[in-house]
Amino acid sequence: MADYVHPEALVSTEWVSEHLKDPSVRIVESDEDVLLYDTGHIEGSVKIDWQADLQDQTVRDYIDKVRFEKLLSEKGIANDTTIVFYGDRNNWWACYAFWVFKLFGHEKCVVMNGGRQKWVEEGRPLTKEVPSYPKTSYKSPGIDASIRAFRDDVVKHLDGKKPLIDVRSPKEFTGELLHMEAYPQEGALRGGHIPGAKNVPWATAAREDGTFKSADELRGIYIEDKGLKEGDDVIAYCRIGERSSHTWFVLTYLLGFGKVRNYDGSWTEWGNLVKAPIEKP
Amino acid sequence: MSRIQDIIELFSEADYQATLGMLLDYSESLPPLPEEFREARDAGFNRVAECETPVFVFVGVKNGAVDIHADVARESPTVRGFVSLLVDAFDGAPVEEVLSAPENLIHNLRLDSKLGTRRMYGLSAVYSRIKNEVKKASDSA
Repeated sequence: MADYVHPEALVSTEWVSEHLKDPSVRIVESDEDVLLYDTGHIEGSVKIDWQADLQDQTVRDYIDKVRFEKLLSEKGIANDTTIVFYGDRNNWWACYAFWVFKLFGHEKCVVMNGGRQKWVEEGRPLTKEVPSYPKTSYKSPGIDASIRAFRDDVVKHLDGKKPLIDVRSPKEFTGELLHMEAYPQEGALRGGHIPGAKNVPWATAAREDGTFKSADELRGIYIEDKGLKEGDDVIAYCRIGERSSHTWFVLTYLLGFGKVRNYDGSWTEWGNLVKAPIEKP
Repeated sequence: MSRIQDIIELFSEADYQATLGMLLDYSESLPPLPEEFREARDAGFNRVAECETPVFVFVGVKNGAVDIHADVARESPTVRGFVSLLVDAFDGAPVEEVLSAPENLIHNLRLDSKLGTRRMYGLSAVYSRIKNEVKKASDSA
């Protein structure tokens, strides 16, 4: 992990196994499968569900600051707690939860490299025991608007001819498919991509064992192949903003780009916007 | 009342935690796939293609009753739990009962509002597949 620009944003499975009882650390599991935590999880870890816990159930947005503070207080997380995120599918949803926690300004966030898959493959133990921690009085330092892009930001970004990374599958990028392969249609009326966007499917950044590729390999993908340059202002998007939070993490922490935003409206917003420009091959 | 109606009633009255608990119990109680179907599964037959999680269903009709077996990876407990629920509801049930089960079963079970629509695609694909197979098997029976 040494040649990443911010290696401190990652911890190993071994580090986690040595910090299971560290009171300054809270381990958070965030999965695509809502029941996976309940079938067994890392000792002492708490579950955060991207759908039930982090999304507003009416408006298409995240929970507000007050509810975020309530959620973290209930999980026994204090403002100075180091939160270790891990989950299924190459840490896809762990990175999404990480991004949302950063949006609310939580300072000490790290990802367990390799996620749940690596932990299990190494034969490390899981437990069904759900821990409870004394309630804290968490206070969000405020919203960090610098990591989230809204559609008007994307329009300005396009006008400025700044780089966009589309992390969907190649068929979604070309517009042949309106959704992930094997996932039925999810409500975008038009197919294609935002003009000028480069396609790097999110999982390109991960190895078979779920860990992130080396800094050299990642530079090869995003800088040499796709032409991102040091100092670039980058927006990443996918269909609803979850796969792109994984790429946001890679660009921000592993490659050290200083200004990367995740457009969580993503294709389910852009592909439905009247008169929004679309590129198709 | 049919078994599926009983299950719908149970789920529609359950809160979020109870729903997760029931699905988890279901995921742990899916009967193992009988020996006679394992070769077909291992060769990749009878897989529900629309579901990202590997789901294998074997549906037949014997003497007017539905005969259903399934296999789902343990790493996908939500899908496994839902498939196990369908097996519980439909195995041994009269064909007519399965064919007349509600089209919007997932909504009736309140799974869409509790787990999020994003998670429902694979489930609805499995449900349609089972109903279609029952229809086909009963037509040719």
